[in-house]
Amino acid sequence: MLEKFVEKINGVPAYLRDWINTFRGKLTIICLIGLILLPLANPGPYILGIFATFMIYTIFAASWDFLAGFVGQVSFGQAIFLGIAGYVTAYIMKYIPLAYWDFTSFNWVVLADPMPWWIALLIGAIIAVLFGLIIGVPALRLKGPYLALGTLAMSLILYNLFLMGQLGILWENAFGTELFGTDGLGQVPPISSNSTIQYLMIFLIMCASILVMTHIVKSNTGTLFKAIRDDETGATASGINTTKYKILAFMISGFFAGIAGGLYALRFSGVNPGLFQPLYSFYAIIMAAIGGLATISGAALGAFLFVFLGEILRLLGDIPALDVFGGFTEPIFIFSILLIVIIRFAEHGLLQPVLERIQDVWDLLLGR
Amino acid sequence: MIEDLVSFIIFGIIQGSIYALLAMGFSLVYGVGGILNQAHGAFYVIAMYIFYASFINIAEYGLLVGMILAIIFTPLVGGLIYLLLIKPLKDSHVGVVIVTFAFAFFTEQLVRIIVDAKYHDMPHLVPGLFTFFGVNIPYHYLLIIIVSISLLFIITLFINKSKLGKSIRAVAQDSEAASLMGINVNKILAYTLMISAFLAAVAAILNVPVATVAPQVGWTILLNSFAIVVLGGLGSTSGSVIGAYIIAFARSYTNYFLSPVLSALIPIIIIVLVLVLRPRGLLGKKEIV
Repeated sequence: MLEKFVEKINGVPAYLRDWINTFRGKLTIICLIGLILLPLANPGPYILGIFATFMIYTIFAASWDFLAGFVGQVSFGQAIFLGIAGYVTAYIMKYIPLAYWDFTSFNWVVLADPMPWWIALLIGAIIAVLFGLIIGVPALRLKGPYLALGTLAMSLILYNLFLMGQLGILWENAFGTELFGTDGLGQVPPISSNSTIQYLMIFLIMCASILVMTHIVKSNTGTLFKAIRDDETGATASGINTTKYKILAFMISGFFAGIAGGLYALRFSGVNPGLFQPLYSFYAIIMAAIGGLATISGAALGAFLFVFLGEILRLLGDIPALDVFGGFTEPIFIFSILLIVIIRFAEHGLLQPVLERIQDVWDLLLGR
Repeated sequence: MIEDLVSFIIFGIIQGSIYALLAMGFSLVYGVGGILNQAHGAFYVIAMYIFYASFINIAEYGLLVGMILAIIFTPLVGGLIYLLLIKPLKDSHVGVVIVTFAFAFFTEQLVRIIVDAKYHDMPHLVPGLFTFFGVNIPYHYLLIIIVSISLLFIITLFINKSKLGKSIRAVAQDSEAASLMGINVNKILAYTLMISAFLAAVAAILNVPVATVAPQVGWTILLNSFAIVVLGGLGSTSGSVIGAYIIAFARSYTNYFLSPVLSALIPIIIIVLVLVLRPRGLLGKKEIV
């Protein structure tokens, strides 16, 4: 076990060198360096904020792509994880300090108030994983399109529950749990008051998430996932416990979507029931579809285009001269058309063709 | 007490009739083509807004014109969706699901932009009401019951007796064999989607005066249709009619005697229960696990 581990660690430099030597590796490194150096250009909190949103959505879209592209489980309820983790993280950051019970003085000793953000983030993601387990067990009896509809139904129900604001209405004060109403939770403390630090933290978490997901996909477990996707009957016949692995995939996806949800709550310093809308699941799907299904890193390209195009469209909407278009520059409207067109004509997404074009241009420049 | 009971029963019957129309189309499309049409709610929304827009804009015969336009236009949309979006993607289930899901979003946003995002009410198609055990019942309710039950009857007769209906059943049984027998499978599927859209349009016209007009109701329609079809058994049209009345009465009961919040949760509770206890539904032949 240990030997294998050491071998792997020793193998890393060569593996990394090989990867960097490929065109894709070089491009990725350049993009990552660009993202790290961005705060040096002092672009101001607005631009940094947009980039932070882009990176959060990257994690979210990648988590959907992991489930749909590699395990073949199309979920329209990814927003459930986003919402649950967002609410948990926001609640902890707002109301629960880090404390322990001191037996000598019989009192709570507060270590940090508010809770360190990363603990809140982790707890939020873990609750999302548990939720993935709870809803995953009945939902995974469904196959293909039914799973999609079943998860959509669950996110609609949660949306309605949180919109009503109180579980207590159900059983007339039997347990009057507040769910914070239509406005949700606001004024959540941010990761850091310095927007550069916040940006860099989100950047690190994004890199780690993408790395971990890519590695899971490449590992033995990832091969099992792909076997389930390509031929579930065959996988069962080969002795793979498909239910176990599907639930595992649901939980992994839930964890990363939960991370995205927690970061969302911290970045926008608040959550509201809108997070449970099918709209957010739709966001994940469109970002993953732009990048191309079954490419974890494609989610980054998709999220980039999605966030920046959305921002540009929003700015265009504010220009009075463009009023002739009415509301047709509404981002969601444009994106729904875009999603239809992409799925219809370019099912494998834009990442691969775009990369090939860039490589052609690069070769041309080098005179190859 | 008796008033509560009567209104519970009446409400259950009219809701059940509306749901039966919606679920029958949904189930038909699944049974014939294996297509799980996420845009089913979008058909309802399209018909509803055509109806509403002509009622607002045309002074005298607005209701009638809207009715005719909705009944003609919605099936056309259904046929076009099949030919332009579903047919090219038929090999990938995921593709069909995502594309119809995207179409539902497109419709919701389109009506938000063209009309508005507010809630609206519409008048009953037939004015006036009568009293029955102390409960005032509009004539419109009778219209709903008569129209939907006769339509269900006609459609069942059509599928069982007519030539097109027989082709539809042939495709449902074995599309490959059907195409070898000279049936144009794509044409049949396009017709099936048109029938489904037509049923959704009629349901919208009947339901709009007793419900509200809003862009997001399509999702509730989709959710309820799905729950009914899971309960009745996927692909079984008679099962979906029975399922529609069961769900409608369950919702009506919780709405009148327990709480309206619980009523909104009924579809999901039923979906989960059916999946755990009897995955093939009441009358379904195949399990969906």
